[in-house]
Amino acid sequence: MTERGVVFDLGYTPHDGERRGRRGALSTTYRDGLNRVFGIHRRARKKILPWLLVVIAVLPAVVFVGFAFLLSTFAPEAESPFGSHADYFGITAGVILLFVSLAAPELLIPDRREGVLSIYSSRPLTPDDYVGARTASLLTVIAGFMLIPQALMYVGFAALSSDSFFTALGTNADEIPKILGAAAVYALAFAPMGLLISTIASRKAAATGIFFGVMLIGTALAAALVEATGVPGHRYAALLGLGEHPTHVSDWIFGRVGSSDLIVANNGFDPWVSLVVILLVAGVSSAVVVSRYRRIM
Amino acid sequence: MDNTPILSARDLGFAYGSIVALHSVDFDLPSGRIGLVGANGAGKTTLIKILLGILRPTTGSAAVLGFDATKDMLDVRSRIGYMPEGDCLPLDVTASEFIVYSAGLAGLPRNAARQRSSDVLTLVGLEEERFRPLGGYSTGMKQRTKLAQAIVHDPELVFLDEPTAGLDPEGREEMLDLISRLGGFGINVLVSSHVLGDIERTCDRVLMLDGGRVLRSGPLSHLVDADVVSVDVIGDVSAVVAQLTAAGALVETSGSRLLVSSSDDDPFRLVRDALAASGNGMRSLGPKATTLEDVFLEGSDA
Repeated sequence: MTERGVVFDLGYTPHDGERRGRRGALSTTYRDGLNRVFGIHRRARKKILPWLLVVIAVLPAVVFVGFAFLLSTFAPEAESPFGSHADYFGITAGVILLFVSLAAPELLIPDRREGVLSIYSSRPLTPDDYVGARTASLLTVIAGFMLIPQALMYVGFAALSSDSFFTALGTNADEIPKILGAAAVYALAFAPMGLLISTIASRKAAATGIFFGVMLIGTALAAALVEATGVPGHRYAALLGLGEHPTHVSDWIFGRVGSSDLIVANNGFDPWVSLVVILLVAGVSSAVVVSRYRRIM
Repeated sequence: MDNTPILSARDLGFAYGSIVALHSVDFDLPSGRIGLVGANGAGKTTLIKILLGILRPTTGSAAVLGFDATKDMLDVRSRIGYMPEGDCLPLDVTASEFIVYSAGLAGLPRNAARQRSSDVLTLVGLEEERFRPLGGYSTGMKQRTKLAQAIVHDPELVFLDEPTAGLDPEGREEMLDLISRLGGFGINVLVSSHVLGDIERTCDRVLMLDGGRVLRSGPLSHLVDADVVSVDVIGDVSAVVAQLTAAGALVETSGSRLLVSSSDDDPFRLVRDALAASGNGMRSLGPKATTLEDVFLEGSDA
C-alpha cells in the first residue's frame, strides 16, 4: 500500500540575515539598468538590437586586428592602412548615438509609465540615488562600447608589433589617457541629453526620435543657420550642432586640430569651446532630470 | 501586545496648494493590524505618503517605528513594505524576477532575495505562475504580486493601500485571508480601505479619517461593541419607554424596537426591570449589532 502524501505548511520564515540598506538598493538599481539595456531577463526580441549594436561596435576592431595580423605575416614591410584609436572613435560614435537613443528611454520611461517608481519610493533609495544609479548604468554601457574595441586594438596591435608585447604596450601607453579622455567626452555629450529627453518624453519611441532630432537634425540646422549670412552672429549657430562637439574635442585630445571639416571647427571655435558646451549641456540636463525626479518620487 | 506606538503623528498637516488634505492630525497607534478608513479623498493616501517620506508635511511631524518619517526617511524605508493602490508592476518581466528585484531594492543580498522570493510567491499562491511575464496576469494575480513585493524583505510594518481594489469576491476573500495571516508572521499591518467590511475582517484597531481629520481612533472592539441593548417589545411600548426613562436610560424608539443605553447602569438589567414593572413582554433581547459603518456614519454626521 502506498503511503498517503502529506502537505506541509512551511509558513513564513523571518529574514535574520544581512540587510545592505541603501548600498544594496543602489547596486540593485545599477545592475537592473545594465540588464535592461541589454534585454537580460527580458524577452528575446528585447535582446536583438542592443547585442547587434555591440557586434557592430566591436567587429571593426576585430577586423582591423585580423588584417594587421595578415599584413604582419605576409607583408611585414607594408604600412598598415588601418585606423588609429582616434579614427575608431569616429566609427563607434554613430553606434553610441544609436545605442543611447535606445538605452536612455529604456532606463527611465517604463518605470514611470508602469508606476514602478512607487516601489522605489518605498525602498531605502532617494530620488537622487535612483537617477544616479540609472546614469551610472548608462555611462558604464557607453564606456564599454567605447573602450572594449579600443582595448582590443591596443592589445592586438601590441601583440603584432615587431617589438616584444610588453615593450609595445609601454610604447603606446601615452594613448591610454587620450582614449579614456575621449570616451569620457562622448559619454558626457550623449548620456545626459539622452536621459533629459527620456525624462520629458512619455514614450520610448518618441524619446528615441527626439534624441536623434536634437543630435543629427540639430547639426543640419546649425549648418543651415551658419550659411544664413544675413543673420547677425550667424557664426554662433555652429554651436547648436551638439552631435559634432565630442568629435571636435576628441580630435583635439588626439592632436588632430584642423584635420576635420566640422561646422563648429570651420567657424573658428576652438575645441575648448566645444568642451564648455558639452559640460554646460550635461550640467543643465542633469539638473533638470534630478529636479523632475525629486518632484515625482 | 507591545503598546509602544509604531505610528504616531503630532499636529500633522498637509496641503496640495490651497487644498488642505490633512488638518492637524494626532494619533498614536500600537503594533498590530491597523485599519486606516475613510471615504475617497479623506486623506488616507496622503497620510501613507507622508509616513513613507514621499511627501513632506506642511505642519507637524510623523514617526514610523520610532523614526521621524521625514528626517529618517531611509531608516523608515529599510523597515517597511508598501503595496500601492495603483499599477506598480513592470509588465515585461516575470513575477519571480520582479520579486527578486524588489528584495534586492530593499537591501537583501542576492541569494537571500532569491530564496525569499520563492517562499513569498508560494505564500501568496503564485508558485505555479511565477515564471510568466506580469503583463499576462489577471487583476487578482497582480494584487498578489504587489503584496509579495511588499513583504518579500520581511518588513516590520507593511502599508497596504486598498489591497482588495478591483478583485472579484473570491479574490477578495483570498486577499483578506492573506492579510489576516500577516500578523501571525510578526509583520505589523496598516490597511487603508474605504471598504469598512474589509477592515472589520482583518484589523484589530482603527484610525478613521474624514475630510483630513481624525474621526475616531482605537481598538475595533471598543468602537463597534457599543454598550447598547436592542429589545423588541410585545405590548405597550410607551409604558416600557416611560419606565426606562424614569430609571435614567437613554432610549431610541423604532416601532416596537427600542435601543437602550445607560452610562450609570447595566442596560440589560434596566430593560428587565422596565418590562417587569410595566407588565409587558418581548420577542428578542440582545446587544445592538454595531458595524464599523454605523460608527463611521455616526461620527461623520456629528
